[in-house]
Amino acid sequence: MSADTVAPLSRAAILELVRDQLAEILEKTPGDIAEDVPFVDLGADSLALIELVEALEESLSTYAAGFHIDDEDLEGLTSVRDAVDYVAVKLQVA
Amino acid sequence: MTLPIALDAMGGDFAPGEIIAGARRAVDELGLNVILVGVLELMGDPLGLEVVACSEVIAMDDDPGTSVRKKKDSSLVRAAELVRDGRASAMVSAGNTGATMASALLRMGRLPGVIRPCIATPIPRPNATPMMLVDAGANAECKPEMLVQFAQMASTYVRAHYGVDVPKVGLLSIGEEPTKGTPLVKETHRLLAAMSTLNFVGNVEGRDLVPSPVDVIVTDGFTGNVALKTLEGALKFVFATLLGAIATNETTRAAGDVLLEYVLPVAAELSAENQGGALLLGVDGICVISHGASNATAIMNALRVADEIDRGGVTEKLRTTIRPDEAA
Repeated sequence: MSADTVAPLSRAAILELVRDQLAEILEKTPGDIAEDVPFVDLGADSLALIELVEALEESLSTYAAGFHIDDEDLEGLTSVRDAVDYVAVKLQVA
Repeated sequence: MTLPIALDAMGGDFAPGEIIAGARRAVDELGLNVILVGVLELMGDPLGLEVVACSEVIAMDDDPGTSVRKKKDSSLVRAAELVRDGRASAMVSAGNTGATMASALLRMGRLPGVIRPCIATPIPRPNATPMMLVDAGANAECKPEMLVQFAQMASTYVRAHYGVDVPKVGLLSIGEEPTKGTPLVKETHRLLAAMSTLNFVGNVEGRDLVPSPVDVIVTDGFTGNVALKTLEGALKFVFATLLGAIATNETTRAAGDVLLEYVLPVAAELSAENQGGALLLGVDGICVISHGASNATAIMNALRVADEIDRGGVTEKLRTTIRPDEAA
């Protein structure tokens, strides 16, 4: 693999990324971040979600230059599963 | 030369005029190094101060989180970036409080282990160091673990900045007994009482805000902000009533001539403009939040406080304050 090539992300890898970043923001362990539990039940308020979005944009820019999550789409993202599915579609992960 | 303090020239009820005037005074009277961040077309005369130009302003009623994302070239965001990038020692703003916190949080990041930053507002005490009220408005909803961290950070701040060796910490409630208060207060009381590294003295009540028998009062941001604004309003009312009474007739005016010489310095000591703003505790950099109604004097004092915090190495002391296992 050349230095310019980045391996595509699997859905499992996206899940791990979202979990890790949310865990860091909420000061939890990744194992405590269940995929189906609503963000609000995990203790993530609107500012925590903005932190998550900005962290994901920075991390995922490695895989897709200028990766951006539209603010209009944020309302529809209510759980880790939503976020992972959203990113997967954006990155066209199978 | 020390790094400049980045001042949001666009934030506040009296921006940019009073903000820039305050910066000029801080340079002239205190010898501080200040850099303005603002929209050139809206700023007017920068009074000879250096300006970092930007193109947007976050309004007082903008949503904090989304405005920071949407207005990336705003004065608030750019000021936070100057601190993040090591081009400024601190940022100061009298603008949208929530957006100031969001800018600092998203650009500077949090100190290790910190769940959420909080606002530490000094409440003056006669002949004593100020009492620190945390959280004065950053987090409307809190968990007990957050309040424990607020108490830890405020204790470190009071120790480092005011030289209080073992700050007394009180928990704001509706009675001294541990059984009084909301579930949040009762659980926080249990956690604080179990901590050996804090000098927790138990619950305090609203009447203990002034003059406070403790050095730190911890509460959630909703309650803290209500308490703070109630205090401000009450003090204004008392002084206005006193001045009204003095103006009643010739006799009271004559008495006032004598009395005011002693009352006005007290009023000045208690006024928000002389307190110098509140420190945002828990972000990886210095962010001082000044009152929305700040005039030039208030801004000058906020810049003074930011400089003192920088020189005192408060952020480095806060870096090792939070030990997550203690709050478990």
